[in-house]
Amino acid sequence: MNVARRDVLRVLALLPGAALAAAGTGACTGTPEEPPAPDPLVELAARARADAATASAVAAAVPALAAAAGEVAGARGEHAAALRAEVDRERPPVSSSSAPPPEPASPPADVAAARALLVDALTAAQKEAGTLVASLPRYRAGLVGSVAASCASLREVLA
Amino acid sequence: MTSPSPAPSSLPSDAASAVQAALGAEHAAIWVYGLVSAFLPEQFAGAVTDGANAHRARRDATELLLADAGEAPRPAEPAYVPPQPVTEQASAIAVLVLAETDTTVAWRAVLERTDDATLRANALQALTDAAVRATRWRRAAGESPAAAAFPGRPAS
Repeated sequence: MNVARRDVLRVLALLPGAALAAAGTGACTGTPEEPPAPDPLVELAARARADAATASAVAAAVPALAAAAGEVAGARGEHAAALRAEVDRERPPVSSSSAPPPEPASPPADVAAARALLVDALTAAQKEAGTLVASLPRYRAGLVGSVAASCASLREVLA
Repeated sequence: MTSPSPAPSSLPSDAASAVQAALGAEHAAIWVYGLVSAFLPEQFAGAVTDGANAHRARRDATELLLADAGEAPRPAEPAYVPPQPVTEQASAIAVLVLAETDTTVAWRAVLERTDDATLRANALQALTDAAVRATRWRRAAGESPAAAAFPGRPAS
């Protein structure tokens, strides 16, 4: 009993120290009053989610591309979920609700135009992710590098 | 070689062992491309040549990078053992997919073990190229999905 209470006190005593340590690391990137810089993965996750919605719309509207666009939709949806999970792991969200997914523009019915729409989106996504890889922490460099490589691979599926 | 940027003059040990493992994957892939050509019809000859050349170029660049950092590049094994015997087109394509997949895993591991921007750029290019070739071979085999969502992520 005595020991247990001492343990509780020790744990409580540690908390201010931990808070100070956290404040100390925060001071390296700015004053405590400033809001933290936006997580660069938020943008990648939003792009992946928008691409998934566009690819789903193409898969539904263009029968010739149903299988390929469906594969793009599935993979980009997985990218969005993994990137979002990494953002939330680093900085747990205050509320669990996130912004509603953007409404995809109605896709072109023309096969070539619909394919070009998806290929261009994948090229832009690969470039955005690839550019970020140089500056990310190591674990994130692996994740974002895989997303970039996947976007390049998905273009092959549409070829 | 077209890369104008100098290699890092020294490699921390975790990055060096990851690059050595990636070199090992390149050696294995070159061996596999040499093995399969006898089992694939003429229509794949161009893809086999391109893949083999890409892996040789990556091997050479990786050996240079290691040597410049004062590391002895790991030599190729005398032979490799495919998990399934290669006897015809399907098993030949399966071992190509495996070789490319192993290559993606090795290069993604490099991304996670270095902060050096030049080495990361090389690793990302190698990861991307191997993932694209793996996708093409899966398509040739009629596999779906053909593209991995997370190329190079180790199987857990």
